[in-house]
Amino acid sequence: MKRRASIIGGVAAIAGSFVVFVIPFIFIILMAFKDKPQSALRDFSWPQGFHLWDNLVQVVTTRNWMMITAFINSALITVISVTLLVVLAAMVGFVLARRKTRMNGLIEFLILAGLMIPPAVVPTIWLMQGLKLFGTLHGMILIEVAYNLPFSIILYRAFVATIPRDLDEAAIIDGARPLDVFFRIILPMLWPVTVTNIVVQSVGIFNDFTNPLYYLPGNQNATVQLTLYNFQSQYNTSYNLLFTNILLITVPPLIVFLFFNRQIVAGMTAGAVKG
Amino acid sequence: MTLNLKSMALAGVGALAVLLASGAAQAQSTTLTLLIDNGPQTVPVFEAYVAAFEAANPDINIEIETRPGGGEGDNIVKTRLATGAMADIFTYNSGSLFQAINPQQNLLPLTNEAWQANVQDSFKSVVTSAGDVYGAPYASAMGGGILYNIPLYKELGLTPPKTWDEFMANNEKIKAAGKVAVIQTYADTWTSQLFVLADFYNVMAAVPDFAEKYTAGEAKYASTPAALQGFERLQQVHDAGYLNEDFGAANYNDGIRMVATGEGAHYPMLTFAVGAIEEISPGNTANVGFFAQPGNSADANGLTTWMPDAVYIPKTVSNEEAAKKFVAFVASPEACEVRNATVNPTGPYLVKGCELPAEVPPAVSDMLPYFADGGNNGPALEFLSPIKGPALEQITVEVGSGIRSAADGAALYDEDVRKQAQQLGLAGW
Repeated sequence: MKRRASIIGGVAAIAGSFVVFVIPFIFIILMAFKDKPQSALRDFSWPQGFHLWDNLVQVVTTRNWMMITAFINSALITVISVTLLVVLAAMVGFVLARRKTRMNGLIEFLILAGLMIPPAVVPTIWLMQGLKLFGTLHGMILIEVAYNLPFSIILYRAFVATIPRDLDEAAIIDGARPLDVFFRIILPMLWPVTVTNIVVQSVGIFNDFTNPLYYLPGNQNATVQLTLYNFQSQYNTSYNLLFTNILLITVPPLIVFLFFNRQIVAGMTAGAVKG
Repeated sequence: MTLNLKSMALAGVGALAVLLASGAAQAQSTTLTLLIDNGPQTVPVFEAYVAAFEAANPDINIEIETRPGGGEGDNIVKTRLATGAMADIFTYNSGSLFQAINPQQNLLPLTNEAWQANVQDSFKSVVTSAGDVYGAPYASAMGGGILYNIPLYKELGLTPPKTWDEFMANNEKIKAAGKVAVIQTYADTWTSQLFVLADFYNVMAAVPDFAEKYTAGEAKYASTPAALQGFERLQQVHDAGYLNEDFGAANYNDGIRMVATGEGAHYPMLTFAVGAIEEISPGNTANVGFFAQPGNSADANGLTTWMPDAVYIPKTVSNEEAAKKFVAFVASPEACEVRNATVNPTGPYLVKGCELPAEVPPAVSDMLPYFADGGNNGPALEFLSPIKGPALEQITVEVGSGIRSAADGAALYDEDVRKQAQQLGLAGW
């Protein structure tokens, strides 16, 4: 009886996730195969004719191969800012959890404020212009790090608290310097929460649309999400090209996750067992 | 490992050499940036403009950058102007939206340019602020009215109506024949405003000083019967059941397709849509005609016109002379020829010496009599008054779907407009 219930539950879950995740993806693929008049109908139908290759060529070559530039830029921004986020947030989390001072309350308030107060666009641009960072990739990377840092710090701080202090002390007695304690003892122990951070933040940063739109003007600075606007406008949208573009920019993260699936799941479950 | 290092060093030197070479090449020429909206009628046209201009001026190099249209586009233009990060040349709306980007503070006046002599005064008036002209037209004028399916009209023996009663009689016959009489597409909310905005010629015919009084806060939509009529007409077509069944979910593309293929008879729209028919429904451009929104009397039948967007130069321009040269090219008859060769014409040009090609789509030729001698046309309200409420499209969706009555909608719009008038600091509000 119990077994049958769990089978029914499993089937229902699979059907549910099929409807939520797979059907939209099939729709994207079908749309990418269509020509413009058929795609303008936006229905769930079998494509008439095979237009995927034409669509792909058109999407990639549009606006002087903008897609290639966009992929390079997005990859750089995502990889560098996630690396910085992980290292910086883990350091802050470690120090905050280990060292109790009178400043802790204020620092925690500032971190929460960074999470809650929405950043204003014009003053930020003004500040970046003053620092000569506006419209540059490294400026954009710093923005992504700054906007996402509070969330990562909170994740790390909670996790560091579960690592026994005895471990640091043992390392120090064995002669480890402060940086050794962090990089060789603590950071490897933080692997589960680091995986969570990498997954959440890289998806968020790769898919970020509004920040690059305002902080990173210029053709040579395009990111993948901005290429969507090549085919979608206020009055007229080429749905076949738009969906081909969506397909193109959805596939790389998907491949990355398929490839690293084992590490990600292992990392997350390792955290779960430890409690 | 050493081999690797060596090849990497070689590659590095090579890349450096390429960088240096390109730097040297650029040093000899001027590079301008150009920010345009991503409309399908804008991007190819500007690519052709730039190609033609660069061929004539080899020392100037222009880089095109695109931005979204609509509200997001407004934000980008305002943000980049406010932060001094605007491109050297950019396109933006004329009329009330142009007034909202603070032209005197942000833009370079172009009043004394030689080409201004060739631009029609009607266009200059919509890119003028405090006596200075700031923009040049790069597209043709548009009309706001009703696109109709010609084969369907022939089949049912109808003629384009001159009065609203004739229009409603036509609708009744189309409905009786089992077709959709009026297409509405509220998924793209902006399309819902046409019955109200395109009725403005009729408003001005009844109340000639409406625009001035409206700006001064003396005349209101709700209390002026002629102005209220636009909202009432929107409600009438819904209440009579003339709309397509999916009017709430259909979008602009669907509307174009329906009127082009004869699934529906009438689609209230601006004539720039003519350029999109060929893309959405190939081969049907010749099946779509156009008439102005009919009013109360056949004698006072006239067209409400829209002015096209303009190109502007911000005060932060890097090379004023080169930028002005490009703008002068855009406002020249040569540029019109480039445009004619690139996209379907959508209306008459506003620059002297510009000619439409001999073969134009019927919807455009239907529009030309209104501009010819003895024809009647007048600009839409947004070109006569700096006030246009931001929520009009939401209100017209409500009225057009029968959620709100016409009188109620008009009153709500008057309230919406008050906020904008106060922001602009107009007297009388």
